[in-house]
Amino acid sequence: MDFFPLWLSLKVSVVATILTLATGLPIAWVLARKRFTGRDVAEALVVLPLVLPPTVLGYYLLVLIGRQGVIGRVLDAAGMELAFTWRAAVLAAWVGSSALFIKAAQAGFEAVDRRLEQAARTLGRSGWSVFWSITLPLASRAVMAGTVLAFCRALGDFGITLMVAGSIPGLTQTTPLAIYDLVQSNRMAEANALSLIAVATVALLLMGLGRLARLRF
Amino acid sequence: MALTLEVRKTLPGFTLDVSWAAGDEVVTLFGPSGAGKTLTLQCLAGLMRPDSGRIVVNGTVFFDGGRGVDVPTQERRLGYVFQGYALFPHLSVRDNVAYGLRRLSASTRRHRTQEVLERLGLADLASRRPQELSGGQQQRVALGRALAPDPALLLLDEPLSALDLPLRQALRDDLRAVLAEWRTAAVLVTHDFTEAYRLGDRIVVYEDGRVIQAAPRAELLWQPASENVARIVGIRNVLHGTVLKATADRIQFRWREQLLEAVNSPTRSYLPAPESALAFFIRPEYVRLIRKDRGTPDPGHHMNLMSGRVVGEADFGTTWTLYFKLDAPGGPAQGDYDLEIEVPRLVYEILEISRDRHWQLSIHRGSIHVLPSA
Repeated sequence: MDFFPLWLSLKVSVVATILTLATGLPIAWVLARKRFTGRDVAEALVVLPLVLPPTVLGYYLLVLIGRQGVIGRVLDAAGMELAFTWRAAVLAAWVGSSALFIKAAQAGFEAVDRRLEQAARTLGRSGWSVFWSITLPLASRAVMAGTVLAFCRALGDFGITLMVAGSIPGLTQTTPLAIYDLVQSNRMAEANALSLIAVATVALLLMGLGRLARLRF
Repeated sequence: MALTLEVRKTLPGFTLDVSWAAGDEVVTLFGPSGAGKTLTLQCLAGLMRPDSGRIVVNGTVFFDGGRGVDVPTQERRLGYVFQGYALFPHLSVRDNVAYGLRRLSASTRRHRTQEVLERLGLADLASRRPQELSGGQQQRVALGRALAPDPALLLLDEPLSALDLPLRQALRDDLRAVLAEWRTAAVLVTHDFTEAYRLGDRIVVYEDGRVIQAAPRAELLWQPASENVARIVGIRNVLHGTVLKATADRIQFRWREQLLEAVNSPTRSYLPAPESALAFFIRPEYVRLIRKDRGTPDPGHHMNLMSGRVVGEADFGTTWTLYFKLDAPGGPAQGDYDLEIEVPRLVYEILEISRDRHWQLSIHRGSIHVLPSA
């Protein structure tokens, strides 16, 4: 049996989750704490990937990063290729899972009593320090829950990945795509094994999340 | 410590426009809920930006609307005790107290934290979480956290309102002791006049976004600036009469068909014209009932004599409050009675007031306090 899809899925999901954390935390914080014009639009944009058909998302992403796309041309000039590489799979997983993370983290930040942050400021701490010492620790459960959800979503992405990264065996074929391929070519035993491993991984992660939610500070 | 504050801030449906000053003392901002007290504290701490005005603490300009100065909260270095305390739930008592000491070296920080914990009697609780403490202990942690960085000024927002009544009274005296011991100038917000009076050297009375009087606490109690202030600080028997004659040291007036005489305040000698309206108040505990077993009252000795009946009463344990209606014709001044009178329980029992309802009473002219008209 070929374990490459499993290994690729893991790599893509880990990198995508790190990317999600780095971009999602500031966005979630801004949506939770700031009032600005265009906030409604920003909120809608964040949720959009969650409700659009994955193929539509993938199509637009491909338009952007393909050879003729706005981003694609810039990358091409820099000698980089994105479409139909494993990095495109990361991009797909990131786009598909960010919304889940941002909504969870935003709810976590909103639940933090603002007076605690104000108290921290009266004690001489700047905004950055207040975020790391008060806001983030108090929202940590929601942030971790969001991270696990985002990771699981990244592991399971099919449609967006197929559109932007293709399903090139040994190159961009992640586990869900591999399972589809195996079923198409009637290799049921292998499809079954791969599916079981995928289910087990996600189940373990979700159980860990459940335990996390019961943890006290 | 010297503080001058002048703040204007408009919010939807509310405008704050206040100006007051304070020295090295405890100032209480007193007034009903929604009068702008907390908003003032937030402006002082930089948590809320005034529309215009000027805030200066110890010569440092924290805010100046005209010159665009607005020092951020974290650089103002003021201690702030929040309503409900706002302790950090994920940190121990020790880490809460140490939170504002980050600029110190590790060893100095440890030393200072320990010192604060010990002075406030919190050393045994140092590794507990705030949610494991009683209300009183939480208050001490909040005080310790705010005092640890040695702020020039301590701000306290309703520090006792989170507590139950019996504990609240004990902790009021506790808080007074801490403020006296640390000798920190403080601004304290409360809507409870007893608290304002017990804790403040000076009281600033708020009403509807404005300051209606700022004075040392005794002056506020005995010389309220207006009828409004008298009502807000809970003074009973605020009444209205008609001036007959006013001189520098006496005011004669008519009230409920009675001729009364009051001392005019020599410091502000208020001289209203004859026949003008006059507001005054009589403290319930300063009304004297005249004993019937000592012969007829002597008008030379008993001034401002009146007679009437007790039409209602309330038992407050150590004292009784009597609701007294004059025999004079016409409607009573305060609903179904004219005067509220407070007598000690012993007097109530000796005079057998529960049985005997008709009394003569007298009020010394020094016990009738004339209120300047607004």
